[in-house]
Amino acid sequence: MKILLTALVLTASALMAQVNEPVEVPYIAYEIKTGKGFDAVQANCLTCHSFGYIINQGPQARAFWLEKTVKMVDAFKAPITPEDVQSIAEYLFTYYGNGEEK
Amino acid sequence: MQRREFFKKSFAAASALALADTLGASETRQPIDNRKVSSIAFPEKRPLITYSDRPPLLESPRETFSRAITPNDEFFVRWHMPEIPTHIDPATYKIHINGAVERELHISLDSLKLDFEQVEVTAVLQCGGNSRSAFTPTAGGIQWGHGAMGCAKWKGVRLRDLLSRAGLKKDAAWIGFNGLDNAAYYETPNFVREMPLEDLDDHVIVAYEMNGEDLPYLNGYPLRLVIPGHYSDSWVKMLSNITVTTEYQKLFFMDVAYRVPDNDCECETPENRFKPTKPITTMNVKSIIGYPTNNTIVHHNTHLVVRGVAFDDGHGIRDVLISTDGGKTWGTALLDKDAGRYAFRAFRYAIKPTKMGKLTIMAKAINRLGAEQPFAHEIKWNHGGYKFNGIDAVTVEVI
Ligand code: HEC
Repeated sequence: MKILLTALVLTASALMAQVNEPVEVPYIAYEIKTGKGFDAVQANCLTCHSFGYIINQGPQARAFWLEKTVKMVDAFKAPITPEDVQSIAEYLFTYYGNGEEK
Repeated sequence: MQRREFFKKSFAAASALALADTLGASETRQPIDNRKVSSIAFPEKRPLITYSDRPPLLESPRETFSRAITPNDEFFVRWHMPEIPTHIDPATYKIHINGAVERELHISLDSLKLDFEQVEVTAVLQCGGNSRSAFTPTAGGIQWGHGAMGCAKWKGVRLRDLLSRAGLKKDAAWIGFNGLDNAAYYETPNFVREMPLEDLDDHVIVAYEMNGEDLPYLNGYPLRLVIPGHYSDSWVKMLSNITVTTEYQKLFFMDVAYRVPDNDCECETPENRFKPTKPITTMNVKSIIGYPTNNTIVHHNTHLVVRGVAFDDGHGIRDVLISTDGGKTWGTALLDKDAGRYAFRAFRYAIKPTKMGKLTIMAKAINRLGAEQPFAHEIKWNHGGYKFNGIDAVTVEVI
């Protein structure tokens, strides 16, 4: 009886032990606009996080998007060529821009 | 029906845009509050507002904040790095303590629960960037509404007890924390955090339980750091390494992220960034209305009980005030029982709307030091969009 009780207590508290197998985190296909420059975005912007990060910022100025793209390279060491940085920033402003330069 | 809904939506979007247009440079407003929970549920979670699946970023909807304890399956989720182990074996998991200590320790979960004093604390976990969407122009980072926070009863062992067992060397000065999450790219700085030794008090714990259950996987199973009163940037999840050092290590997530201007107003303008900066550290006084929510329909001449939660960095809440006339006059809300100085203090306030049409309800908390929340528009901009604590407001429709 005593053994049964401890076993019960253990299963009641140890949720992860209950499911002793890998956790599956769902995949979400964030809808993102395609167009000029998207190839570079797809090749460079999915390594470290989902497109959700981009979409969540809302429409932004050209300077904002260039600054973000450069931040990925400078702060987070994303291996992106200078040409790709330009076309990605251009793409982001075209499709997720607010019309403002700054 | 679908058509009508579409029109409603585009109207809301258009008016949000119009509002943004009328705001000048660097102002604040109420954060974005119209986001819907996703249709997809994450492990051990109900469907929440979902900004990213990788790494997972989940926000609790406003309704969550009508109760003093946030249920585990509604608790927000925030990771920085995409490589998170999907399987942890509690039988072999160990937390390692090393660096400037007399004895390196490798402690199993069982030993943690058996060989140390077990302690509990009810404490608010809030991201420093909670409510960031209040800032214009946009402060880069996740554009949270109000739901990057929650309050739970945490159980674990004191960090101080672990460090005493290891024995701190005389010149020990900093404690570094690392979890099992990793960057996808080898040169990307990992999410490692440091705490000055003088910040260590008996309230800081290494927790394995949240509201009486194992920590949910997405909240850092099997162990996380709990630093009551402090923003969550250092509450490292899946905690695997505690490294004591004699000198501060230069780290991106310490030196660049989670910092505010080091001046009295902790503010700056986009054109005139203020240097130097300081870490965000302890939380300011804040309250959120959990019920009603924006656009709730209520009947005139019927009692409406406004509910919500208030908290600060551990001084405790003295009063929550409610206004239905735009902040001209205030009434005192009833406070529920105190669950400890670091916990959410639930409040309620009954009103009887008599006039038809829109009614805005505001909540303002005051802590025991007398610090009170400013109006949303009075809050000054900072580039990281941290520490927003404007007076909350919801607008209901009285019919
Ligand atoms: C080498 C890894 C890496 C790559 C590649 C990368 N990012 Fe990031 N990005 C990060 C990290 C790390 C963060 C911060 C994560 C966090 O705090 O959750 C981030 C955050 C962001 C944010 C949120 C705003 C902010 O300042 O935190 C945006 C927007 C963003 N990235 C856009 C992009 C775009 C566009 C690309 C493609 C050019 C890209 N990222 C590629 C690592 C990367």
